[in-house]
Amino acid sequence: MNNLYSFSKFLLTILLCSYPACLVDVAEAQSSPQQTARRVDQMLIRELAEKLPAPSATPVARIDDETFLRRVFTDVLGELPTTEDVLAFTLNQNKDKRAELIEHLLADSAYGRNWARYWRDVIMYRRTDERGLLSARSVENYLTAALNENTAWDKVATSFITARGDVKENGSTAIIMAQQGQPEETVAEISRIFLGIQIQCAQCHDHPTDRWTRQQFHELAAFFPRVAVRPKRDQDVPSFEVVANDSPVELRRRNTNNRYRGTPEHRMPDLQDPQAEGTLMQPIFFVTGEKVEAGSLDADRRSQLASWITGPENPWFAKAFVNRIWAELVGEGFYAQVDDLGPERECSAPQTLDYLATAFRDQGYDMKWLLTTILSTESYQRASRRRRTFEEVPFQSNCAQRLRADQLFSALVTVLEMPDSATSQGRQRSARFSPRNTFSSVFGFDPSVRRSDVSGTIPQALLMMNSPQIGQYLLARRDRMLGRLLLEVRDDQQAVTELYVRVLSRQPTEKELATCLKYRQRVGNREEAFEDILWSLLNTAEFVNRK
Amino acid sequence: MENRQSARRVHRQVDVSFDRHGALRRRNFLRISGMSALAVSGETWRNQLVAHAQQLRKQSQACILLWMQGGPSQFETFSPQPESDSGGETKAISTAVSGIQIAEHLPKTAGLMDQLCLIRTMQSKEGSHPRATHLMQTGFLPTASVKYPAFGAHVAQQLGDPDAELPDFVSIGRRRGNTGGGLLGVEYDPFKISSPDRTPDNTQLTTSESRYRRRLGLLDELQSQYEANGGEEEVADQRKLYAKSSRMILSKDMAAFDIQQESSQMRQAYGDSSFGKGCLLARRLVETGVSFVEVSLGNWDTHQDNFNRSKDLCGQMDQPFAQLIRDLRQRGMLDRTLVLWMGEFGRTPRINGRSGRDHFPKAFNVALAGGGVNGGQVVGKTTPGGGDVSERPVKVNDLLRTVCHSLKIDADQENMSAAGRPIRAVDDGQIIQEVFA
Repeated sequence: MNNLYSFSKFLLTILLCSYPACLVDVAEAQSSPQQTARRVDQMLIRELAEKLPAPSATPVARIDDETFLRRVFTDVLGELPTTEDVLAFTLNQNKDKRAELIEHLLADSAYGRNWARYWRDVIMYRRTDERGLLSARSVENYLTAALNENTAWDKVATSFITARGDVKENGSTAIIMAQQGQPEETVAEISRIFLGIQIQCAQCHDHPTDRWTRQQFHELAAFFPRVAVRPKRDQDVPSFEVVANDSPVELRRRNTNNRYRGTPEHRMPDLQDPQAEGTLMQPIFFVTGEKVEAGSLDADRRSQLASWITGPENPWFAKAFVNRIWAELVGEGFYAQVDDLGPERECSAPQTLDYLATAFRDQGYDMKWLLTTILSTESYQRASRRRRTFEEVPFQSNCAQRLRADQLFSALVTVLEMPDSATSQGRQRSARFSPRNTFSSVFGFDPSVRRSDVSGTIPQALLMMNSPQIGQYLLARRDRMLGRLLLEVRDDQQAVTELYVRVLSRQPTEKELATCLKYRQRVGNREEAFEDILWSLLNTAEFVNRK
Repeated sequence: MENRQSARRVHRQVDVSFDRHGALRRRNFLRISGMSALAVSGETWRNQLVAHAQQLRKQSQACILLWMQGGPSQFETFSPQPESDSGGETKAISTAVSGIQIAEHLPKTAGLMDQLCLIRTMQSKEGSHPRATHLMQTGFLPTASVKYPAFGAHVAQQLGDPDAELPDFVSIGRRRGNTGGGLLGVEYDPFKISSPDRTPDNTQLTTSESRYRRRLGLLDELQSQYEANGGEEEVADQRKLYAKSSRMILSKDMAAFDIQQESSQMRQAYGDSSFGKGCLLARRLVETGVSFVEVSLGNWDTHQDNFNRSKDLCGQMDQPFAQLIRDLRQRGMLDRTLVLWMGEFGRTPRINGRSGRDHFPKAFNVALAGGGVNGGQVVGKTTPGGGDVSERPVKVNDLLRTVCHSLKIDADQENMSAAGRPIRAVDDGQIIQEVFA
């Protein structure tokens, strides 16, 4: 902080327009997120100590304000804090400023957009058919609105399970559309996403390491046979619609990838004789054993299934969500995989997860409540360390996470003051080739994959280093961010500091400052030197990871 | 004079190392040569050694995988069954080898049957695209606990030269599945080229080379703060990645990516299709020393209209496939280059209601050429109609072990998973000896 007074006037004037004051309701009884967070922290310490009596538990310290600010901006909004945000937050003396910030960010509409993109990727990276992408944008828009309105998670899940309509208009059709209405694939995804249970492994044979059987999997599929995904031919732009087909005609259309019509009932194929008709399955929900009659209407099947999946007797619905969000925020889940839970899987702190999942359920599956709670825990607010080895105690630190493609692109947009046009030339179809989507095709990854398994690639490095599209925004021209900054800030030391705050949300260390100033001297040309410094900062590991 | 003697000693060391272990120990050899060259500290000699190493790299084994995404029908490619109901309308034609017939849609490939070894009895249990693709690409089913490397990553790791400038594993065309370096690390991920027509994306510098190098120096210095504060793994990964990326784009070997440097006759011989250009590019890359190149041809998932679509796909594949083998042979590269043709499974003998065929992993085809493979033969027999294997079933691991044998790489090499479990490159399996007989 001792460098603070060397900030330019340019920045200090900006300080005047800092955050709007946020009022916090801390007085809420037992269920306040802050109190729940403290309880979670205590339980976690106790539970880990019981489980692992080794003296190896050594939690690292809380992160400093600058790192916290950048982390929470990235996690909640998918964007970087601006220079103004950094200054306002670090100079704020209020001891509740972290809680205030969390509340402030969750009220920002960028929150919904960021997490909508996360869930869009969760669904789309598992598509079995490229046509599934037709619902990519509608699901992003649908979820952005739902998350910003803080629609309860059980309502959102229900909408996906019972979805109907045009896939480009109704985003909740996305899971069905991504699997082209195939009953087996669709229920496998519903189970994976909403329950964290990989029941599809029981598709061909009984699950080797789980209690679920092949029969139970096909009983789950029996909730979906009447769902059809059919092309809409009555319009210029190709689209599909998800419809229910309750006509009792049974057409023999097995072994196909198209579900234009659906079938009245689901049949489990005979493994010995795949050509045979197979066994008629009654829709039964494997977790609770609840069932509907064969012959029921599609609407009844799916709404029943939705109510059982989201019902209070099914613990996996809340656990799967809590585990996933926790893993995304803290860097490691209670289960090693965000989508492979279940009674036979190892959970690193089952009591804590139970407690938090139950609280989430009792709060009516309030997503903002859960986010606030996790963001308020010590587990979240610790500094990041390298990923622990298998033997080490979990949750002793946060973990660096690679930014998702959208987060990284948004970071570039903020830092370089680049346009973020979703479409070029205003044409809908060209959205696929927008700068953001091109960027995502290189940097994107399946967010359900363990983050330790997601690694940087040569094409990513090449894009960050050499992309002509990004390169033009690094230039120190008058119509670019860097040119404006250099005109405004004549002092080199201040300019370096400003670049650091802008790109990395922190001030340079003395050593870094010296390195940059020495470099500036060596190069001679001021514009050129600062273009190089900006280029280097954007290419650091620190920039592409969220600490 | 002194330099000269040292250099001679270096060469002797090099040769000994090379003779005793063969191509398998080329990495050790390169390490020795690099160190000795430094000890000699003669710039000329170092250059010569590097040139020598590059020369050797260009002479080592390589593999070109022609990946038929979606699962090609064996009946419309290498196992026509015109006498049976399963065969549908597809006719069989004679080939350069008497007694072996393949489908009518592959006339040019038929002319090179003497170079090809067909396996007609590949078997697996996986009938879903993602799982079967994972199995064929890695030899393992996908699991939550271990991230198995793509087979190409093993080849890159064992045959690739760590000092090479181009990536050791290149994938051309749209690649399915998210397998890559896996537990071997990011450096063995495939370098993906979506279109063989263009310079790979972002491989051209936006500044002068000297300024680019200067920037890299600054970048390296500016990483140390994060490195010392919890980011050691991220910084180490990033450094590795940037070093490799920079070496690559500054290399003169980048010219290998430009198929326009080939004569127009040569380009015509491969044909104008994207797959044809991909095959030509694959040959250029192998010639430059790339160890593993994958060229994908998609859309074999012919649940409907199988006969027209398979015919069309064969049309895209026939000429480039035949030309690739012919070209490699004419250049004297075929013996050291294994060409492998396969998809994730075959298709059902039963023709469904929409003239389609569905997924069928029970008996499907793989074709091999080059790399010491004895051409002009068929391995395995199916029952009449192709519904099952009657003789010589071949499992995925048998195939991969056979490929390892051809490439002279170690199928039993163990690598550690993230949880510290040793994982063999290929688990179990037997070499299919008749392939080389």
